[in-house]
Amino acid sequence: MAKYTLKRLGMAIITLLLVACITFLLMNTIPGSPWLTEKTPSQATIDALNEKYGLNEPEIVQLGKYFKNLFKGDMGVSLKMQKNRPVVDIILEMFPVSAKIGAIALLWAVLVGVPLGCIAAYNRGKWVDSLLRIVGTIGISMPSFVVASLLLTGLGGSDDSIFPTIFKASLGAKAYILPCFALGLYPMCYISRQARSSMLDALGQDYIKTARAKGLKNSAVIFKHALRNALIPVITYLGPQIAFTLCGGFVVETVFSVPGLGRYFIQSIQNRDYPLIMGTTVFLAAFIIFMNFFVDILYVVVDPRIKLEKGGE
Amino acid sequence: MADKTQKTKTAQPNKIKFGSLQPDIENLLELKPEDFMPASEEQKESFIQNRESTSYWKDAWRRLRQNKVSMVALGVIILLILFAFIGPMVVPYGYDQFNSGAENLYPWHYSLKDQRLIDSVSGNAQERLEAALADAEAEKGEALNSREIAKIRAVVNSTTVDLEDFIKENNIKHKAFGYSVSELKRIEAGEKVFPHVFGTDRYGRDNMVRLMIGTRVSMLIGVCAALLVLLIGATYGSISGFFGGKVDAVMMRIVELIYSIPEVLVVLLLSTALKPALTTFQNSGNGFFQKLIGLLGPNLISLFFAFGLLYWVTMARIIRGQILQLKEQEFITAVRALGAGSGRIIKKHLLPNCIGQIVVTTCLQIPSAIFLESFLSFLGVGVSSPMTSLGSMASEALSGIQTYGYRLVIPAIVLSIMILAFNLFGDGLRDALDPRLKK
Amino acid sequence: MKNGRKKASTSAASKTALGKKEGKLLEVNDLKVSFFTPAGEVKAVGGISYDLNYGEVMGIVGESGSGKSVEAYSIMGLLQSPGKVVGGSIIFEGEDVLAKSKEEMTSFRGNKVSMIFQNPMTSLNPVYTVGNQLVEALRAHNKDISAAEAKKRAAEMLDMVGINNVEKRMKQYPHEFSGGMRQRVMIAMGLICNPKLLIADEPTTALDVTIQAQIIELMKELQQKTQMGIIFITHNLGVVAEICDKVSVMYAGRIVEKGSVNDIFYKPSHPYTVGLLRSMPRVDAQEYERLIPIEGTPVDMLNPPDGCPFAPRCESCMQICLKKMPPYVEMGDGHSSACWLRVQEKMKDKEAKNNG
Repeated sequence: MAKYTLKRLGMAIITLLLVACITFLLMNTIPGSPWLTEKTPSQATIDALNEKYGLNEPEIVQLGKYFKNLFKGDMGVSLKMQKNRPVVDIILEMFPVSAKIGAIALLWAVLVGVPLGCIAAYNRGKWVDSLLRIVGTIGISMPSFVVASLLLTGLGGSDDSIFPTIFKASLGAKAYILPCFALGLYPMCYISRQARSSMLDALGQDYIKTARAKGLKNSAVIFKHALRNALIPVITYLGPQIAFTLCGGFVVETVFSVPGLGRYFIQSIQNRDYPLIMGTTVFLAAFIIFMNFFVDILYVVVDPRIKLEKGGE
Repeated sequence: MADKTQKTKTAQPNKIKFGSLQPDIENLLELKPEDFMPASEEQKESFIQNRESTSYWKDAWRRLRQNKVSMVALGVIILLILFAFIGPMVVPYGYDQFNSGAENLYPWHYSLKDQRLIDSVSGNAQERLEAALADAEAEKGEALNSREIAKIRAVVNSTTVDLEDFIKENNIKHKAFGYSVSELKRIEAGEKVFPHVFGTDRYGRDNMVRLMIGTRVSMLIGVCAALLVLLIGATYGSISGFFGGKVDAVMMRIVELIYSIPEVLVVLLLSTALKPALTTFQNSGNGFFQKLIGLLGPNLISLFFAFGLLYWVTMARIIRGQILQLKEQEFITAVRALGAGSGRIIKKHLLPNCIGQIVVTTCLQIPSAIFLESFLSFLGVGVSSPMTSLGSMASEALSGIQTYGYRLVIPAIVLSIMILAFNLFGDGLRDALDPRLKK
Repeated sequence: MKNGRKKASTSAASKTALGKKEGKLLEVNDLKVSFFTPAGEVKAVGGISYDLNYGEVMGIVGESGSGKSVEAYSIMGLLQSPGKVVGGSIIFEGEDVLAKSKEEMTSFRGNKVSMIFQNPMTSLNPVYTVGNQLVEALRAHNKDISAAEAKKRAAEMLDMVGINNVEKRMKQYPHEFSGGMRQRVMIAMGLICNPKLLIADEPTTALDVTIQAQIIELMKELQQKTQMGIIFITHNLGVVAEICDKVSVMYAGRIVEKGSVNDIFYKPSHPYTVGLLRSMPRVDAQEYERLIPIEGTPVDMLNPPDGCPFAPRCESCMQICLKKMPPYVEMGDGHSSACWLRVQEKMKDKEAKNNG
């Protein structure tokens, strides 16, 4: 267990460093500089600015410095969007909003998706199953921006209506309804499809035959024996889903004007605010990678078979 | 035995069933000595009513045809292909053609008469005042004094009508398709004008033709990206699976690493970063690759880069798993014993045997590629103007969402239907090609 | 081989000496089971009849797809869609099993009849401890028993099936057990409610040979201890000789021959049984002897032919075999066989009698 955890942790850290390097390299290939706004500043000013923010040094040195600071918890300061404000501050301000919406969305996705999947599997071949399958397939065929913008066109109204178009934290719970629904629909349908197939898989296993042969009640067979086994694969899908939900957040935040990190990330790319892009990417990547890591660990907790196997492959 | 059987009588001779312990006596009595002659091999052969043996593909096609949902999905895909590839030939507008005077058209229009009526109330206040003053003046026959002008002004200002109510009161009905006023006038003059079925955008570009081109672009990206993924994934996966051991361990470690990279983040960065670099490259010369980029646009190329770099891992994993399983089987040992080289074994013997899996995975890769493309385009880092895709159209429409909701709804629906059709067809294909997987 | 047969017969004899309950435990009459697939109705079991007395061990022998497992599942009420019992009856201790409601079946399964399966590796739930699964089997039918008592009983059962270090083993997960050990656990689980009938569906097929022998030995021992009836499904005639009192040979969803172990082994009267015996290695073979496989493949159950299903693979196939299903011919003492050859013999006998 300890070895497994350490191995996964090592893997997670390597991935994170890799992502940071990729981000850095990619950003430096983007032509154009953060100083280019409507009126081009003089070359002298640009040089001075580059000097000040260390942009004139060789790339490898910049990268080294960046990592050094990163370990100290310093991600530099924003160059453009919120000039000179530390990136860490910006992230800490924006992320909670995104995280809250993402968490609510994922929560409802799991709480609704898993039972729906089980219901479909249990009623395999009947109309309930067909209906849920169709709904599920439609759900995973609608990109979140489609859902978000359709909801907005169809239901969105002023701040006073039930479904306000523009997200304002001051509006309380109702501001969250549409964004969270839009964000959670895809994972919900995805999870319900996965839950269905893994439940069917579990129901076809020999140990279910054994459980039935023992004379267990149907409910015990399903909830005790099938469900727990069916949840194991669902948990593995949860990791990538977390990442997906978070990134789906970019779109949903853009559509509903949510002041979250996702929308800010897109804006910082458009504005070429290097430290902000790097900071946001590294932060989001870290978040996703470590969520995956925790899902891996959770997986071990649920499935006793993993412990003995080397590395848990 | 015979004594025993005589006691029981069964009326219908062909009702003898093996399980019933009562042999049919009447039939027994009818037995002739010939019946106990040995049967020839041919008779034995022909005895088994063999089911018509069908090839794998024939059988799969039969199963696929029986699956109504997949067949409908296939129909929808074909319709979409016709729409995207034949459609633009029918519509006489170009996707990047500005139709001046036809900006911001709705997918409906009013007849010229109704339009004039509407203009009379909805037009500019100053114009309406002037019109009213002119009317009054004509009536009176002389210039109005200041008091009269003030009076008329007050009347005009107070009669600002709600446009919707006005349309309802006067029973003005809108007619299908969008036409600009000048186009309507041309029709009146006897000219044939092709309608703007879905209206036009704010530059006067025909929405329907843009929708067709957008569908075409999204679809092409989906298919090409899926093929790219197939090429890289199948090569990588089969090499890794075939050689096994250390090679496999290292290659799979790399796959694992790429797998845990949050792809969407990197793809976003990649599309942003590659686009300018490619543009520079495109302008640097006039070689084949530069022309290719010019043809496809730097955005598309960077999208493909993203796919080629990050999205092949699932395919590689699947192929590797299949190859690992297959290569243990006897026929591979046999081929190896015959002295076939590795490349030949992979190409001729291993890959064809996992073709079902490959086809299904590739087919299901198409909708996810379309998905990603629309996502990037929606965020403004994918396909950009004047070229368009469904995602870009939705993105462009977002700013006018309150007034021109249809501009967003239409591409969004087409996009969803397209992804849905590919997903359903892929599901059906999976069921047909690998019945074991059917869930 | 020979030894096994002797053992079997002696065990049968000792049983009657013990003064077990007399009479029929299970009666199966003309049972028909079909699978309704998209391609058509597959008659997996096409009307079989047999009965089993208290404390008797019956072997059902046949190749894969001959319907042996399907038949067993229908006794347990475990047939899964699209499988369905379409005719016949199953009488267990005078009660019609097929007429039972779902709830009645639930309390019937595992309590009166229990079943152990072919693959011990997959038949235990990987996410629960062995103790948990044993206790669960007991408490499903014995609601009043306390947790501690149930645990004690589970431990006793494990001890009985020859598992050491029971306390520790109870807390382990199935993957920590070897295949043979898991099958012992399965047997313990099957017997924990003292069932009157145990159905063993190829319990040794997935195990290696030495373990097979141990498991058979264990089952024999337990059978003598508990006096339960056993239906032993297998394709291995050697195993049958070891443990069974009587044997039914199934082919293509039908019983082609049934009789006592001695009858089947010494006086096989159906060509299929003969073929089976010939394809089995013998320890007492005089010298180098080739095993003779049965040529050909089984018939397509989707379009079963009119005649004898074994006809195309039969060496002594006759014209009549291709046209009509053979009737059962009694060979005396519960030994019967469905083959036209036997009919022919009987007819000749009768003719001779009439003439003489």
